[in-house]
Order: sequence, then structure tokens, then C-alpha cells
Amino acid sequence: MNSTIPNSTASKGVRILVVDDEEAIRDATREYLSALGYEVDAAQEREEAEALLTTATYSLVIADMRLTGVHGREGLELVGYLRERCPWARVVVLTAYGSPDLEAEARRRGADAFLQKPVPLAELARLAGLLVPGSAA
Amino acid sequence: MSEASLLERILEPNGLTIVFQPLYQLNAEGWRLHAVEALSRGPAGTNFESAPVLFEYVRRKREESLVDRECVTRALKAARELRGEPRVSVNVHASTLGRDQGFVTFMQDAISGAGIAADRLVVEIVEHSPFWDGRSFTRALDGLRETGVAIALDDVGLGNSNYRMVLECRPDYFKVDRYLVFGSAGDFYRRALLRSITDLAASFGAFAVAEGVDAHDDLDAVLAEGYRLVQGFLLAAPRPAGALRNEEIGVERPLRFGGSGRLTAVA
Repeated sequence: MNSTIPNSTASKGVRILVVDDEEAIRDATREYLSALGYEVDAAQEREEAEALLTTATYSLVIADMRLTGVHGREGLELVGYLRERCPWARVVVLTAYGSPDLEAEARRRGADAFLQKPVPLAELARLAGLLVPGSAA
Repeated sequence: MSEASLLERILEPNGLTIVFQPLYQLNAEGWRLHAVEALSRGPAGTNFESAPVLFEYVRRKREESLVDRECVTRALKAARELRGEPRVSVNVHASTLGRDQGFVTFMQDAISGAGIAADRLVVEIVEHSPFWDGRSFTRALDGLRETGVAIALDDVGLGNSNYRMVLECRPDYFKVDRYLVFGSAGDFYRRALLRSITDLAASFGAFAVAEGVDAHDDLDAVLAEGYRLVQGFLLAAPRPAGALRNEEIGVERPLRFGGSGRLTAVA
């Protein structure tokens, strides 16, 4: 695994939104990225994420594809919302149920990266450093 | 075990907290408390401690009516702890009035259940959606007025709180958002807009209220533009009912700005 991890000074002021309906994953990701100096908020539901996006500006959104909802593709809908309302934000989609078709759809909707769960936290940090200019060491 | 849904957490017995922010009126003697606005905060430790995030979430869930009812119930209950008997304003979405056919009856029951006189209440209409059923909305407003409740229109001049809403509501209070107030001291154009709203309110026989007054020079500006009702952190921050200081309530004596910049009772 590439060990390039953003340092805490370079990532200061960079806001990340983590969206996952699993509390343990949400909390672990938030704590890890916060320790690297990112300003991290976390949301459990798509509507909560969209509410946060109306009140703050995020450079990166890391979203699980399957959130609490009726059809299990709320994360993809969030990607569409982001592309329309927050085109500056980079987007990473995570899923435990990946397939080439799903990845193609996520990328078509505007995802910058698509990762199969479980994703090592260090890998997320590396991606954050790559996707958000100025935040990598 | 799956987590409780966020909406369930909001509606839990300890999910919402009510704080009150005083709204003062300036007259010849000094400042007097005119009303307190009941403000809802979501569950502690969640994103919903921020009211804008809380209500944006509620709107996206299309649960304005359910949450508005809960906020009103809790606000009226909390208002019983207020000293004196100030007017109390509660926020309600226009979509709730337009869609919730039972809302007026709910309000009447809530008012009598809380033992608060209806003429102490102001329903402050928050408008965020561009489309609603105008007839249901107007019928609900008429029902509230017949109950004795006054009507305020929030965020006048912003978003969907536009001239159409002014006509539909014919509000008793025109509440001007902080966006127009902040920085008005040095902004000719903001002051022109502020002045136009005081003129408009006067034509409707209504009060104009300047919200979000956080700085002395902006206070001077809104007073110069004709506002006599003012709300903002400069005068008093939102607090739980029991935590409002006697000086902030000021029901017995008028208030003035002391040397410290805080409101104190006139000697």
C-alpha cells in the first residue's frame, strides 16, 4: 500500500464529510482523518449530509453507497446532488457490494474514486491527499 | 442493533431543547421586552444542535409538520417557566400551514393545554418551499388569527419570503433577516432595503423587526431606518427560560445600554 499520508499541517482547514450509516465506520473514519488535521463532519443519512452541505463547504465527501433508505443506492443519489450543487467537491464512493457496473454508474454520476469495503483508513487518507490539492504532504 | 433513525432521535423526550431570545422595543423611556422567540435545538452531540442543519434535514425528510408540532408543544411548555408574561413567538413552516389540515386545531389544543393566553402568541412563518396550496395556507392563517394569535413573516426579503408571501400573510410583524442587517451601518444599499421594509410594514399597519443585530453600529443603522423592534446577540443571546436574567426580561423597568455595552435596568 502506498504510505503517502497527508501531514496534519497541510490538511488544516480542509473540510471532509463522511457519510455512512454504520456508526463504527463513521466514527473511526472521522477520528482518523481528524487526527491528520482535517476538519471532519459525519452524517448517517443522505438527507443529513445534504443539510450539512447547505451550511458548510466541503472539499471532499466520502460516502457509502448504501445508506439508510428504501433502495440502497442513496450514496449514488448523493453523488448526483454533489455534482449539481457542489461541483467543487471531490467524491469517493465506498461499497461492500461492488461490481463493474456499479463503479461505472458511480463514475458516470461524478464520483472521483470508487472503493470496495473494507477500505484501510490509510488508503482513504492517501486518496484525500491526492484528490484535494494542497492537503498532501 | 440498528441505530435509531435521526428523526426518531429528534422526537425522543430529550431530543429537542428550547431556548428563548428576547426581542426588545425601543420607546421614549428606553428598551422594553416586547416578546421572546422560542428557538429549537436538536439532540446534543449531533449535527442537529445547529438549527439550520436540523430544519434543513426536516424539510428534506418532508416532516415539517411533525417536527413543527413537536417544537410548538415543547416551546409552550417551556414558556411556562418564563418570568412575567411576555409574548412568545414560535416558528412554523408555511408548508405545515399549507398541508397539515389539523394544524389550527392542534394549536388551539396546545394553547389551552399550556394555559397560555392566545394573544400572547405569535406564529412566525418560515418559508422555504416555492410551492404550496395557497387556499389551505390562507385558511390556516385565518384560523390562527381567529384564535387570537398574531402572525409574523420571517426572513422578509430573502428566499421565498417575498412580496407574494407578504400579500398572502398580511403579517403583523415583518422580521428582517440578519443578512440585510449585518454590515448595514456602512452599506448604503442595505440601508435602502431596510428602509423600504419599514415603509412597507407601516403601510400594512405592522411592526418591522430587525433580527441579527450583533453590533452597535448596525443597531444605530436600523434605528435610523425606523426600526423600533430589535433582536440580536448585542441585546441578548438565546437562553433556556430559567436562565434569562431579570435585566434581560426587563418587564418591570425599562432598559438602557450601560457602559459595559450590556442592557441594564434604568435606575
